[in-house]
Amino acid sequence: MAITYTHPLDKHLRLERIPTLYCPGCGLGIGLGAMLRALDKRISEGVIDPRKVFWVGGIGCTARMVFYVNYDAAHVIHGRSIPFAIGAVLANPELKAIVVGGDGDIAGIGGNHLVHAARRNIDMIVVMFTNFVYAMTGGQVAPTTPRKVKTTTTPYGNPEYPMNAVKLVGSLNANYVARASVTTPHYIEQFFYKALGMSGFRFIEVVSTCPEVYGRHIGLRDPVEMYNELKKRVKYKHKPSLEEAEIDWEKGIVIGEFIERNNPSFIEILRGGQA
Amino acid sequence: MVFTGLTQQSVIGLITRSSSKYRVNIIVDRCKECGICISVCPTKVLERSNILNKYGYHPPEPVNIDKCIGCKLCEYNCPDFAVFIEKVG
Repeated sequence: MAITYTHPLDKHLRLERIPTLYCPGCGLGIGLGAMLRALDKRISEGVIDPRKVFWVGGIGCTARMVFYVNYDAAHVIHGRSIPFAIGAVLANPELKAIVVGGDGDIAGIGGNHLVHAARRNIDMIVVMFTNFVYAMTGGQVAPTTPRKVKTTTTPYGNPEYPMNAVKLVGSLNANYVARASVTTPHYIEQFFYKALGMSGFRFIEVVSTCPEVYGRHIGLRDPVEMYNELKKRVKYKHKPSLEEAEIDWEKGIVIGEFIERNNPSFIEILRGGQA
Repeated sequence: MVFTGLTQQSVIGLITRSSSKYRVNIIVDRCKECGICISVCPTKVLERSNILNKYGYHPPEPVNIDKCIGCKLCEYNCPDFAVFIEKVG
């Protein structure tokens, strides 16, 4: 009886950098694993050439994912992962750009770039991991932090209303907008698999757990406890409307495929397709 | 063939146990002891072991291996690529 000694995803990872820097119980590893499974499926189907895939990450815990994947990858300045990917895709339209970043990187610092890349429907996949704070720098308030949550910079509770990235991108010209959660890795895999087969701007928000920093602020310090609390609140809906996209920790978080369009992408328009 | 004892490979540190249908493998030095795999297993196959890995964490151990139904939830939910399941036969 032959025993294999390697994990099935080892061929997609830079093993000299494993184990990752992430804290024990961080949801980012679950999301990365699900994305790599979807990519593995697409590569084995022959739809995607692994030499044409490249990953871009800005600054943050999530953006460090690009260190761990065995693909061409760029680690750029804070919030500027989408402009870097736009430049690379326009210079070489054969490339498949995968942008990963946290909510602080993509929706906070790079929020303007997110809006305009979605408006122009540029060919790239943006996977935003929402953990509700700037985790790497110590838990400052992020644009997605729910109201009344105490963070490092809002010790009396967050007075601001949170931003809803799914609703924002869905109101623009993006071709695919979905939301999954790290407690449902099969949905991350399914949505990312679908996104890899489409063109145009594809946005997937993954609600993640951050037991070390966000969990400490909301009193769920244990990874399993936080995972189970998030799992209780996540509800899958078939084709939910953008009105249901509100992230409300009390009422529940709706996941699913919010938008699916077939608009011509920026590169198709440049090539003189239907404009 | 059924593995009853704990097989530990010294080179890569793999905990392997198999039932008649599935084999559960845990890569010892990748585990960070978050406990998610133990929590998500629907049939409670995994338990925290007394083994220490090189970072000082206790990896899980497939104690009730005969209960394994091969759902791979532990493999999908492991944030550190430390658990993988194989089908036997």
